[in-house]
Amino acid sequence: MFILESNVEIEESPQLDVDVLDEVTKPWQVMILNDPVNLMSFVTLILRRIFGYSEDKAVELMLKVHYEGSAVVWTGEREKAELFVQQLQSHQLYAVMEPID
Amino acid sequence: MELIKNDDSTWTLSKVSELEHLMLSRIPESADPNGCERALDRLYPSPIAPDAELDSDKSFDLENDWDEFIKPDLRVEFKDALKIVADDLGKSIMTREGDLNLYQFIIPTAHANHWCSALNQARIVIHHKYDLPDEDGDMDMSPNPEKWMATLQSEIYGVLMEFLIKKVLWIN
Repeated sequence: MFILESNVEIEESPQLDVDVLDEVTKPWQVMILNDPVNLMSFVTLILRRIFGYSEDKAVELMLKVHYEGSAVVWTGEREKAELFVQQLQSHQLYAVMEPID
Repeated sequence: MELIKNDDSTWTLSKVSELEHLMLSRIPESADPNGCERALDRLYPSPIAPDAELDSDKSFDLENDWDEFIKPDLRVEFKDALKIVADDLGKSIMTREGDLNLYQFIIPTAHANHWCSALNQARIVIHHKYDLPDEDGDMDMSPNPEKWMATLQSEIYGVLMEFLIKKVLWIN
């Protein structure tokens, strides 16, 4: 704590832990993994609904999942990534996330 | 089986044959994953990508949070959808056309997402419970009757989902 001449006391800012800061700011990616059951039209619909993607973009991502086994559908902060994974899983899409180094 | 969007508030599933009616009536029980680990793992997967480079502590924390907070919510959501569909199925109207009994369901548009969820849950559970092939057309030519029925059931649910997606839920 610093004591100023005017006797106004100002609390010292706590030192931000670099690891914690890294953890908060490090981007994560949300991925959909291929699943033999989900219909292509269903995956496209859910991508449009959750992320607001155009039909063309949603179809492109859906086809990437289908032919390549997975697609990154969103990248950003961890908290939002968790929310998106939850929303996708609530439609039974095979959604997962991982940090980007 | 025909699906007609009546207006913004309801859709009708009509000309449902006895066999289709039987298949539809099985949606709630078919969507129950209990007793099938693979179906449970698929409906409630880990949130972490299989190849994620995440140290074990962080991975453990995220898995634990998911188990504690998210999976119970998913269970409730899935169960609610099945309950709504079961209620709708209980309100069928039977008509006779010649020698045939045909069924009709008038369903609120607000239930369309629940129907999609229930049909999809059932398709996922059936796929894993009966170990159905991943690709269409890979069906064993002499499958056991149970597996054959499971395939037919899954196909009918898929057709109905396509109807719903294209006619009721599609975003224009």
